[in-house]
Amino acid sequence: MNRRYLGLAALAILFITAALVPLSGNGYILSLFYVSVLFTGLAYGWNIISGYAGYLSFGQITFFGIGAYAVAIGTTRFHAEWWICALAGGVICALLAVPMGYLMLRLQGPFFALGMLGLAQSLRIATDTIPFTGGSEGIYLPPGANAVWVYYWSLMILVLAIGLTAIIDRNAFGLRLRALREDERAAGTLGVDTTSTKVKAFILSAIIPALLGGGYAWYLTYVEPSSIYSTEIELQTVAMAILGGMGTLWGPLVGGILMSQVSETLSTKFPQTHLMIFGALIVAMLIALPSGIVPAITERFGRKRTATQARSQEAIP
Amino acid sequence: MSNLLEIEGVSRSFGGLRALTDVSFSVGEGEIVSIIGPNGAGKTTLFNVISGVMPPSSGDVRFKGKSIVGVPTHRIAHEGIGRTYQIVRPFVRLSVLDNVAVGALVHEKTLAAARRRAEEVLEMVRLSHLSDVLASSLTLTQRKRLEVARALAMRPTLLLLDEVMAGLNPTEVDAMCAFILDLRKHGIAAVGGIEHLMRFVMNISDRIVVLDFGRKIAEGTPQEISAHPEVIAAYFGTPIET
Repeated sequence: MNRRYLGLAALAILFITAALVPLSGNGYILSLFYVSVLFTGLAYGWNIISGYAGYLSFGQITFFGIGAYAVAIGTTRFHAEWWICALAGGVICALLAVPMGYLMLRLQGPFFALGMLGLAQSLRIATDTIPFTGGSEGIYLPPGANAVWVYYWSLMILVLAIGLTAIIDRNAFGLRLRALREDERAAGTLGVDTTSTKVKAFILSAIIPALLGGGYAWYLTYVEPSSIYSTEIELQTVAMAILGGMGTLWGPLVGGILMSQVSETLSTKFPQTHLMIFGALIVAMLIALPSGIVPAITERFGRKRTATQARSQEAIP
Repeated sequence: MSNLLEIEGVSRSFGGLRALTDVSFSVGEGEIVSIIGPNGAGKTTLFNVISGVMPPSSGDVRFKGKSIVGVPTHRIAHEGIGRTYQIVRPFVRLSVLDNVAVGALVHEKTLAAARRRAEEVLEMVRLSHLSDVLASSLTLTQRKRLEVARALAMRPTLLLLDEVMAGLNPTEVDAMCAFILDLRKHGIAAVGGIEHLMRFVMNISDRIVVLDFGRKIAEGTPQEISAHPEVIAAYFGTPIET
């Protein structure tokens, strides 16, 4: 019980600090925090379909991109408020995720991972060639971008994503997701409607990056296919969620904050070689903590009894 | 006469291999029927067809009077057919309790209610002392019991038990027998697929269906089956003429 309150207190301090950051008026600190919030939020989005449902995706950036372009196109061509466009992007992605989910989630394991990567790439190329989306020249957003509002927007989505994950972590839907992750056929014979369950997870995992992508476009004030449908953003997100602990409530938070700050520090300290060091660090951490940071901590301090302890109490049948 | 399950002329091929050929039989409410047959006789395929894991190539499967051919597995589970797998398929990274709670969600709305139901079922199969352990750390015997517990948590009216006895020692077999007989008191019909263990089959079955190379070669009470020449031939071969 005490440990629980301690955790909640730490969380409260973290988010109050995060909420107070813009008051400092320091643009650099704000940008550091924004990057952390953005990536952590993306990691939470990814965690639902890939962590809980076990469908490893390398293409959630698709929805991030659609969200970003919804804002870019909405603000320039339709002169709408950016956050309304971002919300519209979320709705568009939720609707798109239904047919995409039914189609893509028929693929299993590596085929799904590659299929999603292919989807993201085809969308990037389409954006690159279609004049409506600005082609390879991209779109300059109207002036008036305010980093503080984008920051609060992203922070709000992060808090919602954590809240959503906390609910999933404790409810029947979450158990169905974890069951189908472990064994889809067995889950089906136990009455789990695996198709609709995983499509629902896919929709949630599409809305979160879409909303964050909308903010990102407004923050950058310029969108262009390769920087929006960015494999680097996708892979960083995946690495963070995996290092923090896939399919856990706090994994993306720990992984997201830690990795985004490490990555940021490395790129300022070692501007030439930071990617190499970052890559080596990921490899080292995956070897040391294969299941991620959060599971490693809960295993050490957790309540789960080992089977040997329990077996000694077992009566002979 | 009220038949819970009716299998009518079911065949199933895999490419050129006929795993099941024109199999028909029925199971009444609360009845215990054993499907026996040597390894490769088609028992698991039959269970896969009934539980909707794969459709039959031809023929019909009716449950409570309605055809369930082409119905998705999860719907069949909701209709009241529970099954266990011969090669156990526990959700290894979930606790034993949550493994069972998945099945309980068929009737329970909330996770808390499903877990309460799961506690009761684990009590029945004597696994409650292991409820918060990860399923990956169970022994094979315990995994077999977990399979049964998960299916039972669905409150099925028909339970398909695919080789639940395989790998159990004699004491455990007796415990499982008592357990299956107990199902009848709860009005649950059971269809067991068994390779051998004839003592057990004879003791608890109301009826026995014998499969050999995908065909039904005999059906009847344990007494009728044990005297059936084709069954003896399938298991022991035909006597050599001297």
